[in-house]
Amino acid sequence: MILQLKDVPGMLIRVLEPISSYGGNIISVTHSRGEKDSVSVHISFQIRDQSSLNLIKKALQKQKMHISEIRVEGKKYYTKKSLSFILVGHVIDTDIQDTIDRINTLGMVSDIDVVMPSPEQKSSVMMNVDIDERVNSDFVELVEKICREKKFLLIRSLD
Amino acid sequence: MKTAKLIIIGFGVIGKGFVRVLIMKHNEILKNHDIDLKVVAICEIDGSLVNEKGIDLESALKLAEKEELKKHNDWRSIKGLEVIEEIDADIVLELTPGNIKSGEPGLSHIICALKNGRHVVTSNKAPLALRFSQLHKLAEKRGVKLRYEASVGGAIPIINLYRNNMQINKIHSIYGILNGTSNFILTKMFEEDLALDIALKEAQEIGIAEKDPSYDINGIDTGVKLVILANSLMDKKISFRDVKITGIKEVTPESVELAKNHGFVIKLIGDVNKLEVSPRLVPLDHPLNVSGTLNAIMLDTDIAGSIILVGHGAGKIETASSLFSDVLDILRS
Ligand SMILES: NC(=O)c1ccc[n+]([C@@H]2O[C@H](COP(=O)([O-])OP(=O)(O)OC[C@H]3O[C@@H](n4cnc5c(N)ncnc54)[C@H](OP(=O)(O)O)[C@@H]3O)[C@@H](O)[C@H]2O)c1
Repeated sequence: MILQLKDVPGMLIRVLEPISSYGGNIISVTHSRGEKDSVSVHISFQIRDQSSLNLIKKALQKQKMHISEIRVEGKKYYTKKSLSFILVGHVIDTDIQDTIDRINTLGMVSDIDVVMPSPEQKSSVMMNVDIDERVNSDFVELVEKICREKKFLLIRSLD
Repeated sequence: MKTAKLIIIGFGVIGKGFVRVLIMKHNEILKNHDIDLKVVAICEIDGSLVNEKGIDLESALKLAEKEELKKHNDWRSIKGLEVIEEIDADIVLELTPGNIKSGEPGLSHIICALKNGRHVVTSNKAPLALRFSQLHKLAEKRGVKLRYEASVGGAIPIINLYRNNMQINKIHSIYGILNGTSNFILTKMFEEDLALDIALKEAQEIGIAEKDPSYDINGIDTGVKLVILANSLMDKKISFRDVKITGIKEVTPESVELAKNHGFVIKLIGDVNKLEVSPRLVPLDHPLNVSGTLNAIMLDTDIAGSIILVGHGAGKIETASSLFSDVLDILRS
């Protein structure tokens, strides 16, 4: 985990405390002085599961600590968010595979449910998509764009 | 005891409802607040009742029900704008229908009242959605108040609740079901698997939807109310043009059923943060899942957390609750 901390006494302790209290086993801490009064701190620790990692993340964010990156086993880690929405229109006839492929460029369609009354009538398609919560607004924009192009009514869930 | 003179402009559903409630509660207001409320003018499109000592309200109501207001002893051919200028009064109640393109006739009534140093209480959304900051600046300049609790959510006291009791809160988001007609239709579609046009017909037959329901169905009414909430509660300084609006016309029975199968209901939501009106999926156990003609508003704030208000978004008697809240607030301050 990489954090940008203010260079004031006691700061490091405040970061380490929640890590160990949620079961993190700290392996190494290195730091380098950044611009002005800030220090960039790299902390390596072992943790038993994702939910403990999320608890640590939340605790640090609550203390207004700025986390610039988290890597798990070398890969960037992000918090997943699941979104549900319904598309109403000629969803099947307007190349549903293309719709799914485009949605998958920013997320991962995990579930699809289709109701098609008859081929001439509009169908309704429910999709569940997992996304990285940081791309939320880009994702909504992408789906809105597809809906405009293909003349679908978009019914999104409340945030 | 303080005597307060009122001018009522627009004697339709809401105007008559206000007068009915005033007859019911006049003595109670006198006893509890030491205020004697007198209606000195009631203006209709083609003339007005005027009596500086106070109009006899029972007879005005009776004649208005028979559409014979002209037979009242106090009837004169003088119209709203002249009445506002010439008749001495403390508060003007602007209760006419509002045209969303021009804001008229309400806009002219409100401007005239403020310019003449009268407080204004209104249920008319259009002038507010079009000229919110201009009207407020004018009121401030003239040292009078402009209040409009009844314009959003009917009887739900959302604006005054925030103004009087939640001052220190910063609002993160507001979601609202702000149109009773569309909520009634979506509820019918959900509960009885009906198509939209059939649910609408039923709403018209029992007098819930108007003959031309396009403002309700197309989301315009919700959009106008969203503008008032955005400006008054979140200081967004926006106008109706800034709102993105999608109505419920294209909501199909299949989409309603699909939503239901996955634990959702479809509701027309005004999303104040995003300045957007659109049909949204609301979880079945969510507090915004209110049925029939009910309205609901959810505020998410930094200090109080979430607050949810549910109530009647329209109705002649119910809406009077909000009008009186504004009238008494002005007179007590
Ligand atoms: N109904 C509700 O439950 C409700 C709830 C909240 C807010 N509101 C708002 O409150 C306002 C009044 O609604 P409402 O239901 O009472 O409408 P309404 O029944 O149509 O009544 C409006 C009245 O105003 C009169 N009027 C029109 N132009 C006028 C003018 N230039 N001068 C004087 N009077 C004029 C109309 O006369 P004519 O009939 O002769 O045209 C009518 O009697 C609207 O802006 C509405 O959006 C209504």
